[in-house]
Amino acid sequence: MDFNALLKQEFVFLDGGMGTMLRLAPGELPERLNLTEPERVAAVHRAYAEAGSQIVYANTFGANPLKLANTGVDAAESIAAAIRLAREAVGEHVCVALDIGPTGQLLPPAGSMTFDAAYDAFRTVCLAGAAAGADLIVIETMSDLLETKAALLAAKENTSLPVMVTMSFMENGRTFTGCPVSAAAMTLEGLGASAIGINCSLGPNEILPMIREMAKWTSLPLIAKPNAGLPDPVTGAYDMTPEAFGEYMLPFAESGVQIFGGCCGTTPEFIRSVCSHLKNQKRGRDLPKKIHAICSGTRTVMLDMPRVIGERINPTGKKRMKQALLERDFDYLRNEAISQTEAGADILDVNVGTPGIDETAVLPKAVEAILEVTDLPLQLDSSSPAALEAALRIYPGKPIVNSVNGKEESLQAVLPLVKHYGAAIVGLTLDENGIPTSSEERFQIGKKILERAVALGIPKEDVFLDCLTLTASTGSNGPVETLTAVQRVHEELGLQTVLGVSNISFGLPNRPMINRNFLCMALTKGLTLPIMNPMAEGMMDAVRAYRMLAGFDENCADFIAAYQGDGQPAANAAPAPANEKLTLQGAVMHGLRQDAARLTEEALTTQDALDVVNNMLIPALDAVGEDYEKGKVFLPQLIQAATAAQSAFGVIKQHITAQENGGSGKKGGIVLATVKGDVHDIGKNIVRLLLDNYGYQVLDLGKDVAPQTIVDAAIEHQVRLVGLSALMTTTVGAMEETIRLLHEQYPSCKTVVGGAVLTADYAESIGADCYAKDAKATVDFAKQVYD
Amino acid sequence: MQPSELDRQEILMYLRTPELDAQLSETLEQCMEELCRAANPRTIYRLLPVEHKAEGVYLGGLLLQGKDIAAHLTGCTEAVLMAVTLSAPVDALIRRAEVSDMTKAVMLDAVAGAAVEKVCNDLEEEIKQKYPYPYYTARFSAGYGDFPIAQQQSLLQLADATRKIGLTVTPNQMLLPMKSVTAVMGLSHQPVKDARRFCCGNSCGECPYHDDCSMRS
Repeated sequence: MDFNALLKQEFVFLDGGMGTMLRLAPGELPERLNLTEPERVAAVHRAYAEAGSQIVYANTFGANPLKLANTGVDAAESIAAAIRLAREAVGEHVCVALDIGPTGQLLPPAGSMTFDAAYDAFRTVCLAGAAAGADLIVIETMSDLLETKAALLAAKENTSLPVMVTMSFMENGRTFTGCPVSAAAMTLEGLGASAIGINCSLGPNEILPMIREMAKWTSLPLIAKPNAGLPDPVTGAYDMTPEAFGEYMLPFAESGVQIFGGCCGTTPEFIRSVCSHLKNQKRGRDLPKKIHAICSGTRTVMLDMPRVIGERINPTGKKRMKQALLERDFDYLRNEAISQTEAGADILDVNVGTPGIDETAVLPKAVEAILEVTDLPLQLDSSSPAALEAALRIYPGKPIVNSVNGKEESLQAVLPLVKHYGAAIVGLTLDENGIPTSSEERFQIGKKILERAVALGIPKEDVFLDCLTLTASTGSNGPVETLTAVQRVHEELGLQTVLGVSNISFGLPNRPMINRNFLCMALTKGLTLPIMNPMAEGMMDAVRAYRMLAGFDENCADFIAAYQGDGQPAANAAPAPANEKLTLQGAVMHGLRQDAARLTEEALTTQDALDVVNNMLIPALDAVGEDYEKGKVFLPQLIQAATAAQSAFGVIKQHITAQENGGSGKKGGIVLATVKGDVHDIGKNIVRLLLDNYGYQVLDLGKDVAPQTIVDAAIEHQVRLVGLSALMTTTVGAMEETIRLLHEQYPSCKTVVGGAVLTADYAESIGADCYAKDAKATVDFAKQVYD
Repeated sequence: MQPSELDRQEILMYLRTPELDAQLSETLEQCMEELCRAANPRTIYRLLPVEHKAEGVYLGGLLLQGKDIAAHLTGCTEAVLMAVTLSAPVDALIRRAEVSDMTKAVMLDAVAGAAVEKVCNDLEEEIKQKYPYPYYTARFSAGYGDFPIAQQQSLLQLADATRKIGLTVTPNQMLLPMKSVTAVMGLSHQPVKDARRFCCGNSCGECPYHDDCSMRS
């Protein structure tokens, strides 16, 4: 039976629970049964087919190489057997689906499994299923949107089978990893799923409102496969009868659901009941109005009013950002992401293009780093199609791609990527002849880009046009032409419009004022996506005021929330003791971040940066460190002082970079890492903070770092000290291995280790040079090594 | 969860500090509020039969490895397997703070420790209400004594915790989301042995027996 033929029917019926029917003994592995007791599995399929199921899910839910590792069951073998036995059981008139469940591990930002590892596992599964003759692929019970994407891409890129995708949500309308229904719907439709829906986790009562929400976000056929109500903790039994379950499917049908089945706790009786209740019923559904929106894995941003794209993560014209990228200092990027998010940006642009950077390698890493600290959707910004694709693959959700332009080469390289990965695209209104001066020509290029995108199957609402801001100083009519083009794109094409606002003032005095005024003018002409610095004075004010005045802000609620209590001192400004006499040392010792930064700036007007460090900051840190050792102050105060010192060092770094003298004043290098398998790295981060403060050139490799990677970094940067952290007894082995490799390949390098499970004896036994009981002890050892 | 429900003393203990000055106290208050806003505690438990055999103790058909868990469940015919998580947004909150404000990160980490403990205590109370027995053992987790942490995966499977509350385990037996617990609590008609002599050598801050542990210096 052909899945697409089934979809021509009013309703399509799936099967019910497999685990429920198999009555597994404790510890019994369902996927093993395909090989050892095929008849037991086949009987379940037959029962469902007899009850009316038109698609049965083969017994392959957990059959992937990651889940079956160490079980002695080969995933591909189990899958081939499962598809074969299902086909024999139900014949040709019922579809057999390859069933793909989650790997049980999380991908970034919540977890540490790589996208590639997940993709490879799913590819193995899809290839085995397709080779064995599955009619379609089902991806179900998913919680992590990125893992779902890996599975869907693996299915689409390695087979030609239709793919149904269902995810599981909690009562709050989000999956366990925080993915809302809307983000799931738009992402999965964009990636080319054949039908989408919701399964497991809850009963029909709880799932109904969510499926109604999903219906607003997709025009794909909808799937509902709920549990038989809610389970009893003792017996594990579910509380719904087949009759009640079947009856409950009527409002689902009215809401437009086409494909029905049951999950945990449902049996052939439930499917029989669903079939009989839906007999002679009609599916209700108005296809949804196209919604303009983008999303990350945890947040949907509707483009129904002007939304701000934060421009700060871009090295162009920013020395400090360039330096951060060259040093792989992703925390600098993370900080920029946090500040822009807090300032009110709705979307963040990410551009890492600068000489000396391999964008294809760095852009996806930057995207991962940024998504660790913000849930805003991203705009992937690169002129390299390879870099865009690398980032598009690992992005959880529907991003914006910045950009394509009217050049043939660009259209051919970028638009297929946008289509394949279901992104939105910014089209720049320029072509082989450069940027046209007239608004008419820019409009025509924009129109061409739209037509080409639509011809490839990219929805019109996902095409955004940038009519290009040129600096006002070059020609008197420039700004007007830009604004006229924006207005025409907005009104005649109905598209989102993008502008890099601050280009307008390049080369002119009082740039902030020009930027603000141009922003206001552009908003009234129909600019919907200003790319701007949300921290620049007055810019967010202008956007918020516009939204409020233009009727986008109901009851002025957002505006009031943003400015309520304005004029009051900022909440996070801690009261400084005896302000008048506060010294930089005092500010550090009392953990006053803003004061420490301010006083550092003051000090730098009269003193050399090195003097400020050596005569003021280091003595303050030493004093706190001493007090900590004597038990006069405790961990929170120590860290607070270090944080204040960090803000002082931030000012100094900025100062040194500005003086074109990068790196001066830095002491020797130290490689830090939380070892392979360990993902808890707060302890290592405290250590880094302190080492940073003491002026060491810290190369932080992050968490879950493979032994050889650590050794390679130590050798490449010729550091004399490597610091390793491990929290778990299960990962201390990776620490030992790292030290062993270091001794082999770079014997002159010293090692310092720390972490909850370590002791001095243990550290010695694995060959470490030093056991550091806390961050302070690590600094002391670093001093020994380098001074 | 409300900030007022959290045990401030416990948080201070995790922070290894006897008291905080006014400024840090204010930061702590903020952290408690932010954590409670971010947390979405999810719990699951199953009441399962306990069988003592020569090779060890079985919980719901699963052989729990090691002598310590078997001793812990001596005299029990049933036990509750529980799994608890504060959920992924808590990890995200701490991660953000680790970048922007390490003081807050350390405090949030401690607050989360107290919060997950509170969720466990509440769940334990709920279970005791529902299944009144004369005696209950303390909660015992994989990694205590010789109860191997490598059984974490099997415990999650037994409780169906990945599907029911989104709790996963890495190949190195680390629970994710990070602020999560799995534990076994025995139900008994006879007095139970004191479980507090077990020490996993793990961080005392996260040990449920920290209050009256004789092993801590």
